[in-house]
Amino acid sequence: MKLTFPSLEFDKAVAAVCHGTASDEQARALNEMLRNNASARDEYILRLELHSRLASEPELFPPANASPENVVSIQAPRRPRTRKANWVLALAACVALLAAGWWWLRLSNPSERKGATSKAVAMLNRVADAQWEQRHEAPRLGAPLEPGWLQLKSGLAQIVFYSGARVIIEGPAELQLISPSEASCRSGKLTAEVPPQARGFRVGTPQMNVTDLGTVFGLDVKDRRMELHVFKGSVEFQLNANTTKQNLQEGNAAMAASSLPLQFIAANPPAFASLFNLQAKSVAAESRRCNQWRVVSSRLDRDPSLLVRFPFERETDWRLPNTSIRSSALADGAIVGCQWIEGRWSDKRALEFRNVNDRVRLSVPGEFDALTVAAWVRVQGLDRKLNSLFMSDGFEPRTIHWLVRNDGVLGLTVIGHETNQYQICASKPVLTLDQFGMWLHVAVVLDGSAKRVVHYVNGLPVGEKALKIKPPFRVGAAELGNWNANGFPKEDPFMIRNFSGAMDEFCLFSRALDDGEIRALYSDGKPQPDSSVQTRK
Amino acid sequence: MSPEDLTRRLDDKDAAQQRFLSLFLRSEREVFRYVAALVPNVADAEDIVQQTALSLWEKFDAYDPNQPFTPWACRFALNKAKQWIERRQRWQLLLEAGLAEELAQRREELRPELETRLKHLEGCLSKLPDEQRSIVEGYYYRRDGIEKLAEKSGRTVGATYKTLQRIREALQTCIENATKGVA
Repeated sequence: MKLTFPSLEFDKAVAAVCHGTASDEQARALNEMLRNNASARDEYILRLELHSRLASEPELFPPANASPENVVSIQAPRRPRTRKANWVLALAACVALLAAGWWWLRLSNPSERKGATSKAVAMLNRVADAQWEQRHEAPRLGAPLEPGWLQLKSGLAQIVFYSGARVIIEGPAELQLISPSEASCRSGKLTAEVPPQARGFRVGTPQMNVTDLGTVFGLDVKDRRMELHVFKGSVEFQLNANTTKQNLQEGNAAMAASSLPLQFIAANPPAFASLFNLQAKSVAAESRRCNQWRVVSSRLDRDPSLLVRFPFERETDWRLPNTSIRSSALADGAIVGCQWIEGRWSDKRALEFRNVNDRVRLSVPGEFDALTVAAWVRVQGLDRKLNSLFMSDGFEPRTIHWLVRNDGVLGLTVIGHETNQYQICASKPVLTLDQFGMWLHVAVVLDGSAKRVVHYVNGLPVGEKALKIKPPFRVGAAELGNWNANGFPKEDPFMIRNFSGAMDEFCLFSRALDDGEIRALYSDGKPQPDSSVQTRK
Repeated sequence: MSPEDLTRRLDDKDAAQQRFLSLFLRSEREVFRYVAALVPNVADAEDIVQQTALSLWEKFDAYDPNQPFTPWACRFALNKAKQWIERRQRWQLLLEAGLAEELAQRREELRPELETRLKHLEGCLSKLPDEQRSIVEGYYYRRDGIEKLAEKSGRTVGATYKTLQRIREALQTCIENATKGVA
């Protein structure tokens, strides 16, 4: 075979080389052509360069069609018999780890990696029997709120502005969120508690603008009249742009009506009593809810397949009690760093992971055909490229890494029977910015016999992948909220995988839970029964 | 050796490893493309890059931090690629009689020109019809494997390879036009 240039045969041979399918004949003919024809050689180099760019620049492929799933093979490095053998081996594993990190990023979504920004100015942090006008997009508890109108039909809701001001509204009320330090009330009753750092917080009404000077005040806005009551400190108000500003001191109230002159009366706290009671009301409701969960979840402890359950009930120094009854053999977890904070309910605790060293270590001996991992988490931010939920140490055969990628993708990496293979089972991006700061139930089922991996968020499946790695699986030494890379460099971005957020309840089962069981874990543990957040008849 | 010495040594080693990794990660794509100019089959090229990483680490003591890392790494990559080629007859046939070195050297000379042209790649990719785009993406980005791609697109394996070739040709034409357009 002899090639000419340019020719279809030449094109074909170059393509075959790129695909790794060239025949001996093609290879020989190309060699001769490329050594003797400079323009053919340059053309060949250009074509190969185009090919290798396509293969090495994931950014070329925008996210739309990217389906993040793959089985990746890594070349198992030979064991070099040198004095450096240990280090080289360590590096070999390290290269494998890097490859894993690299793959994760290659499969990640370039546009979303840039990090979304939030326009939110406040957060909904407490409700009692709240019913919203926005039926389909009722604000959820813990959800960040962007500028716009909140229309509360009935019940109570507490909004914390990012400036620190806390506003409670009682329905029917219409409140417009404008900025972290400004709101406007068209109708309804509200109280505002403004700490010193939020001084200057403003509330506009049709009749007047109120600027806070460090206080607690109440507003009652009706069609043609409104009242401003100052319970603590003082406020400044202005009837309209042309009038002078006036001060109103603690214990006083002002009444403005469109047809009447301004009247001053005494502040009347009982008129706002229901708003002041919100805290008490919601604490009572929470306590009921928490106790329900205690009863239901303690039944889980008797499940023979439950390897570990951390309810995070009581603050402990470093030991995290495993309440599974079967698991007498399975040790408690060990807390390293971390902080105890309020959990899903005010009389329940949770563990916060914030620093790069915060973690809970545990050890899970044994081999399993299936595993289910579930946790209640509150994501503060996805600071790392890979954020650990629950990861086996290092990169051991048959172990698992459960994590959240920085674009909100939930992932389970299953390492093969040899260290040179692993499978990344990822969901679509599911943890979005508006879910940060809220309690979420996340779970993953690794089912060796049904050969699948399913991710769940709040009881619903959000991604299923065919599992290509065969059981048995192991967990071994592992960590919640962090990852022990087993002595590999910790400051490389691929290696730091600490979780930023809180965890309240963690379960590990040695079997595959079905959709219904996962749904039950969620509904038994969710912070609020649906009715109090959404509309209830 | 006292425990303190040992710890210090380990720390040093840790720090070196870290330095190495960060240098290597920055150069990895370039090293990959260097290797792919000789062994363009993606899976094989990646294997060679990983073997290169190992031997770079072994010799990292000898690396002079005042010199740029990538050319140093590419020298190792050339050796690794040659060792790899020696064990595979077909690649040997392709690259024998000094062609490997010749290609590597000529590619260096052409680098600026390649850069000028290939900066149009992204724009050209986005102009591809959806079906072609999804094949390219499947092959290069998702690494689906040719059988899967063939099955998905309802083609034979041979026809899928042919389609990939046509798409690259279309991209190249587009790049040529874009390059001329700008010049």
